Amino acid sequence: MALRVPVNLRKNLSVVLYAFQGLSIVAVIVGLASLLLLPLDEYSRRTYISENALLPGQVHAYFGGSEQNIVRAFRREVDLLGNSTSDVVAERMAEIFRSAGLKVGKQRYSYKAAGGEYTGENVYAVLHAPRGDATEAIVLCAPWRNIDHLLNEGGVALTLALSRYFKRWSLWSKDIIFLISSDARAGPQAWVDAYHDLHGENIQSLSVKSGAIQGVVVVDYPGAYHRFESLHIIYDGINGQLPNLDLINTAVQISRDQMGLRTDLQEMWNHDDSYRHRLRTMLRGMVNQALGHSTGPHSSFIPYHIDAITLAAHGNGWHDEGSLGRTVESLFRSLNNLLEHFHQSFFFYLLMAPKRFVSIGTYLPSAMLLAVGLTLTAIRLWVDPRSRSGEEKVENAEKSEKSEKDEKAKEDDKKPVEVVAIDSGPKRELFLPMSIVIGVHFCGVIPFAVFNSIDYKSMASVFYIFIATSVILPTLISILITLTASPHRLLPAFHLSRCFSLLFLGMFLSTLATLNFSLSFLIGLFSLPLTFARTTPKSIPLALVNSILLQLTSPFAALFAVAGYWGLGVEDILKEASFGWWVWGMWTPVVVWCVWWPAWVVGRISVDSSFVMAVTGKSS
Amino acid sequence: MDRKCLLVIGAGILIRLVLFTAFPSLPTILAQRVEISTPVTSYKRLQEGIYLFTHGVSPYDGGVFHQAPLLLSLFSILPPSTIVTNLLYVLADVFSAISLIQIASSGVPTVTPHHVSPRKANTWPPWAIAAAFLFNPFTIATCIARPTIVFTNTIILHAVAAAVNGRRGPAFVSMAMASYLSLYPVLLLPPLLFLTYDSLKANSKPSIQAFSAVTMIILSVVLMIYFKLSHLITGSWEFVASTYGVHLLLPDLTPNVGLWWYFFIEMFDSFRAFFLCLFQLHLLIYVPSVCLRLRKQPLFALITLVGISSIFKSYPAIGDTGLYLSLLMLYNHTFPLMRYTFFLAAAILYATFLGPAFYYLWVYAGSGNANFFYAITLVWSIFNALIVADAVYAVLREEHETERPELIGKDVVQI
Repeated sequence: MALRVPVNLRKNLSVVLYAFQGLSIVAVIVGLASLLLLPLDEYSRRTYISENALLPGQVHAYFGGSEQNIVRAFRREVDLLGNSTSDVVAERMAEIFRSAGLKVGKQRYSYKAAGGEYTGENVYAVLHAPRGDATEAIVLCAPWRNIDHLLNEGGVALTLALSRYFKRWSLWSKDIIFLISSDARAGPQAWVDAYHDLHGENIQSLSVKSGAIQGVVVVDYPGAYHRFESLHIIYDGINGQLPNLDLINTAVQISRDQMGLRTDLQEMWNHDDSYRHRLRTMLRGMVNQALGHSTGPHSSFIPYHIDAITLAAHGNGWHDEGSLGRTVESLFRSLNNLLEHFHQSFFFYLLMAPKRFVSIGTYLPSAMLLAVGLTLTAIRLWVDPRSRSGEEKVENAEKSEKSEKDEKAKEDDKKPVEVVAIDSGPKRELFLPMSIVIGVHFCGVIPFAVFNSIDYKSMASVFYIFIATSVILPTLISILITLTASPHRLLPAFHLSRCFSLLFLGMFLSTLATLNFSLSFLIGLFSLPLTFARTTPKSIPLALVNSILLQLTSPFAALFAVAGYWGLGVEDILKEASFGWWVWGMWTPVVVWCVWWPAWVVGRISVDSSFVMAVTGKSS
Repeated sequence: MDRKCLLVIGAGILIRLVLFTAFPSLPTILAQRVEISTPVTSYKRLQEGIYLFTHGVSPYDGGVFHQAPLLLSLFSILPPSTIVTNLLYVLADVFSAISLIQIASSGVPTVTPHHVSPRKANTWPPWAIAAAFLFNPFTIATCIARPTIVFTNTIILHAVAAAVNGRRGPAFVSMAMASYLSLYPVLLLPPLLFLTYDSLKANSKPSIQAFSAVTMIILSVVLMIYFKLSHLITGSWEFVASTYGVHLLLPDLTPNVGLWWYFFIEMFDSFRAFFLCLFQLHLLIYVPSVCLRLRKQPLFALITLVGISSIFKSYPAIGDTGLYLSLLMLYNHTFPLMRYTFFLAAAILYATFLGPAFYYLWVYAGSGNANFFYAITLVWSIFNALIVADAVYAVLREEHETERPELIGKDVVQI
C-alpha cells in the first residue's frame, strides 16, 4: 500500500487542514484589526527629532520687512508673464537670477506618454556656498504651475526673493540651488534625472551642477496676493517611497512652534487629533502611497534618495509670504546644519497627525499577516488530499473524497496499472496547474504593454474591451481545460492552480510590503476572496456568490473605485498610469497587471470551472 | 537522444537567444547583480582582464581580475563580438543539458552495483531532466549574465557524464579543468573516483587502490599541464595568488548570496586567519563523511557535495544552486520520501524575490542597510542546506528500506 511520509501529518490530516484554515483566517483578521488599532495612543508614537544637528527653530529668521516688498514686486513680474510660453518665462527668470549674481542654467525637456507630449523648460540658479566646497547642495524649488495647473505666483516670487536674500548671508556651508520648474510633474523629474546624468534623449543635460543634493523644499503658493491659513506638508514620493521623517518633523516644528503656522497633512484641513481623523489621515496617506504617483514636485527627488517635501499654502487666513519665507529660511538653516545625509530617523512610517506616527515595526505585521494568510492557504491546499489525482483511495481523507475516489477507481479499472516495487501513493499532477499559473502570469504583460502604448483617446474603449475579455477569458480557459483533461484530474488541477497562484501572490505581496507597504496591503485586502473562492461543482449558488465576490474585488473594480475617489474617468487614471510609467518610472501598473490581475484570473478560472463542470457533468 | 530531448534543447536555445536579442540591455543588468556575478566569475571583470591581457599588461595587475588564464586565451582567440560570446554561453548550456541527458540515460541514479532503487520505474525521462536544467530560472539568469561559472558547470557535468559511462580519462581531465577554473570542484574528486570505479565493467576491474593511484597520477599530470600552460600564457606565476588565493583568502568582500562576506566584514583582523582556515576546513570535512556514508550511490555523494559547496564556498552564486538543483532532479524518484518539498520550494522562491528587494532597499533606496540583504542570504543558505539535508534523508531512507523492507512506512528518527 501507499507509503506515507511523514506519518504523523498524514494521520491527522483533517486536523492539520483545519488548523491551517483557522490560522489563515486568524492571520487575516489580526492583520486587519492591527491596522485599525494603529491610530490609538498606545500603538502610535509622538514624533521627535532624531538628528541633533538639525536644531530646528533655534535660529532667528530675518526674512520680512522690506523683503516683503521685493516678493510683491516679483509677484507682479510673475503675474505679467502668466500666460507666456515656457522659453520666455525661462529667459526672464534667468535674467532675474543673473542680476542677483547667481550662476544660471536652463534645461528643455520633452516627454511622450499616452499619446501626448509634455514639454517645458526648467530654469535654475546655483548659489555657491561661501563656507562650503560644492560637494553638497540643497534645493529650493518652485514649479511655475503647481500640480493643479495653477500659476504658482507666490512660490516663484518667494523663490526669486529668497535667492537674493540668501545670497547676502555668509553662513551657508552647502550650495543652494533655486529651481523653477516648468510644471509640477514632468519638469522636476527631467531636472533631477539630468542632475544625475540618467536622462533620456529628449531631455537636455544640465550646464551647471553642484554637489550631492541633501534635501529639497518645494514652495507651492498659488493665487494672487492672498493670505493663507495653514501650511500643507506633502511628502509622498514615487512608488510610495517617503522622505526621512526628520525632514517632516523639522518642517512641522519650525512652522508650528516657531512661526505659529498650523500644519496639515493629506488634505485633512480640520484635524482635531481624534481617532477618526488620525485614521483618515493614515488611510489617505496609504492610498497615495499605494498609487505610487507623484503628489508634487518633491516626489521625483525621493527615488534618488534625496529627502524632499512640498510646503503648500492653503486656505484663507492671516499669514503672508513673510511667514512662509521665514519658515523656508529657518528650514534651510536647519538643512545647512546637516553633518551627513538624513539617516537617523525613519524612512518607513505612516503619519496620522502632524506630530504622531507609527514606524515600520508596528505596522508591517498587518501587511505581512495578509500575505502570510495567502501563503498559509497555499500550504493548506497543497497538503489537502484533494490536490492528488490518483487511482487509489486515500485512507484518511474526508468521507466525501472517499466516494469520489472510489468512482474514479472504477473508471480507471480498464487502464493497465503499472506494477512497481513501491508505489508512492496518489500523485499530484503538477504540469497542468503549473502551466495555467505561469501562462496567466505571462499574459499579464499584454494589458501592461497595451495600456502603456496606446493614446489617451482610445484608452476608454480599449479598457472596456479589455474588461470584457477578462470576464470571458477565465470562462473560456476553464471550458477548454474541462473539455480536454480527464475528469479525475480536473478538481486537483484547479485545486493546485489555486495553490500555486496564492503562493505566488503571497510571495509577491510580502516582497512588496517591504518596498511599498500600502500597495501590498490594499492588494492583499482585495485578494481576500481568492483564499476561499474555490471550485464547487456541487454547489452552484456558492459558486455564483464567489463569482460575484471576485468580480467586486477585481482590479477593474479597484480602478473604478480609485476613479470615483477622485471624481475622474477611468481613462484619466490609465493616462496617469501610463504617464507615471514613462516619466516617473512608476511600478504600480506592473504590480497590478503582472501580479494582481493574473492571480485574479486564476481565481476566476477555479470558480468558473464549477459551472462548466456542472453543465458538462464532469463534476463527479 | 530522442526527439523530445532535441525539442527541449531546441526550446532551451530559443529562450536564451530570444532573451539575448529581444532585451539587449538584459545581459548588462543581470551581470551587475551580485546574486549572479561574483568577483571570481564576473563577466565584467573578465572583459577587464582580456583588455589588459591583449594590451600586453599583466591581467592580474590592479586586483580586479581573478579568473584562470586559460579563460583569457579562450576569449582572446574568439572574435570580439557579443553575438559570438553569447552563442558560446548558450552552447555551454546545451552541452550541460546533453551531459545531463547522458547521466540520466545511463541509469546510474537508480541502479549502482551496490544499490538498486525500488522506485526506478518512477524516475523522470531524460528529456524532463534536461528541461529542468534548461528552464530553471537560475540557470537561465546565469547564462544571460555570462559569468564564467557557466563553463565550470558545463565541465563538471561533462566529467560526471564521462564518469557514469566508466570513461576515466575524460572524466578526470574535465574535473581537473573544473578545479583549475574555480578551485572548489576539487572537492568532487573523491566521489568522482568512486563513481568512475563503480561504472567500470565488472570483468576488467582493477583493485580500488591501484585504480585511485593511477587516477591520481593522471590527475596531477593534467593539472601540471594546465598550470604550465597558464604560466606560458601569462608569463608569470602571479595568477596562482590572484585566482586561488582569492578563493582561499577572500580579499574581495563584495556581497553575494553566500555567508562569508558579511562575516568577514565584521571580523576583527586578528581572527581573520583563524576563521578563514575554519571556513575552508568546514567545507573539506564533508568530503570524507559524505563519500563514506553514500558509498553505495557515489553520484548522489557528488551531488550532495555540489550542494554543500554551493552554500558554503567563498563566492557562491545562484549558478551554483542552479547546478545543484538540476543534478538533484536525477534523484526525483526519491522526492516522495522528502518531507518538506513544497515548504522548501516556497521558501526558496520567497528568498529569491526578497533578496533583490532587500538589496534594492540597501543600495538604491538607502532606507535599508547591509543587514537586510545579509538576513535574506542567511534564509537562502538555510533553506538550501535544508534541501540538501532533506534530499540526503530521502536517499538514505530509500537505502534503509531496501535493506529492511519490513520498515517501509514506519517512523524513523534522523539523528
